[in-house]
Amino acid sequence: MERSIENIWKEGFLKSDALVAPKINNLYNQKSIHIIDKFKRMFKINLIAIVVFSFGFLIVSFFVGIPITGVMFFITLSILVFINKKLLNGLDKIDMGISSYQYLKVFNQWVKKQVSINEKISKFLYPIIFISMILGFWFKDAQGMPLGKRLVNEVLKAFPDIYLVYGIPLIGIVIALLITILLGFFGGRIYKWDLNIVYGRVFRKLKELMTDIESLRS
Amino acid sequence: MSSDFYKTSILPFAGIIIKLCRAYTNSQEDFEDYYQEVCLQIWRSKDKFREESQWSTWVYRVSLNVCLTLLKKNKKNAKPFVSDAITIEATESNYAFADESLNLLYDAIRKLSEIDRAVIMLYLDEKSQKEIAEIIGTNPNNIGVRVNRIKIRLKKILDGKIN
Repeated sequence: MERSIENIWKEGFLKSDALVAPKINNLYNQKSIHIIDKFKRMFKINLIAIVVFSFGFLIVSFFVGIPITGVMFFITLSILVFINKKLLNGLDKIDMGISSYQYLKVFNQWVKKQVSINEKISKFLYPIIFISMILGFWFKDAQGMPLGKRLVNEVLKAFPDIYLVYGIPLIGIVIALLITILLGFFGGRIYKWDLNIVYGRVFRKLKELMTDIESLRS
Repeated sequence: MSSDFYKTSILPFAGIIIKLCRAYTNSQEDFEDYYQEVCLQIWRSKDKFREESQWSTWVYRVSLNVCLTLLKKNKKNAKPFVSDAITIEATESNYAFADESLNLLYDAIRKLSEIDRAVIMLYLDEKSQKEIAEIIGTNPNNIGVRVNRIKIRLKKILDGKIN
């Protein structure tokens, strides 16, 4: 008698060998490679975005009359990208043949090193960005005169007794210096806050995965 | 993924995953890759399970979506389907089932379109038309007609092979 497809299906799966689940001991390798690949992709995109932004800003800065800001931005961000690209190259050297746990551990060490270096850079990066903005706008042409000088003239009209250092109000210098110091002081924290927004989810997954593997190892 | 999660939430439903992955792969190696990826995705998206459906239905849905995604990804590198060659390869790598009729049925199922494969697998696994529609995301009224058409097609393929 001819068997229906329903019968073939039912009888076929009654045999014990039909539904043997394959071993999944390679799963953690796949997962760790997936997380690290995701991080690498995000990291590369981030670096490309910085390069595009610094180029774009450089061009725009010439049009809006703040080339000093544009050039300083470009140089600072180029150094930042160069250092991080070097760090990223180090990530590619991680041997994928090692165990998942080792792989994640090496990656974690790389992340810590990368965060530590960028934290130090940020202590200079944010003050430099601030100074470049001040300088850019200070020397921006305002009807044949630098904007800073015009601003000082306006201030002098209102406060003729104001104390000047090299033609700049002392109070202005103090405020700018204070902001620069604060940015230097909090630069590392600002970087970590920024890092958490961009990579927080990946880092949490990485931590979760490592805890998971560690619980299996114990 | 903890081994507890695998044992309690995936392994009892491994049958569903195995049956489905078999329908979308042609070799043991691919099958194992698909199976692992499905398990991985179930684990990864377990928090998204809202208990609006049964866990088995949800597992089915995730498995199907992963298989369809992997199939699309691998399509570019896929070799053309040559049934005889695959049967030899499958036998060599212990990919084939012990039941020859089941092997022929699977070969026939693999000749169907991606969605038809899913529909017939769900039907053969005794899912209701409503459940099939819910998993695939279609109208339940069309499922019955579709199943009948697929069965006729499968029968034709199987008759051609047997004869």
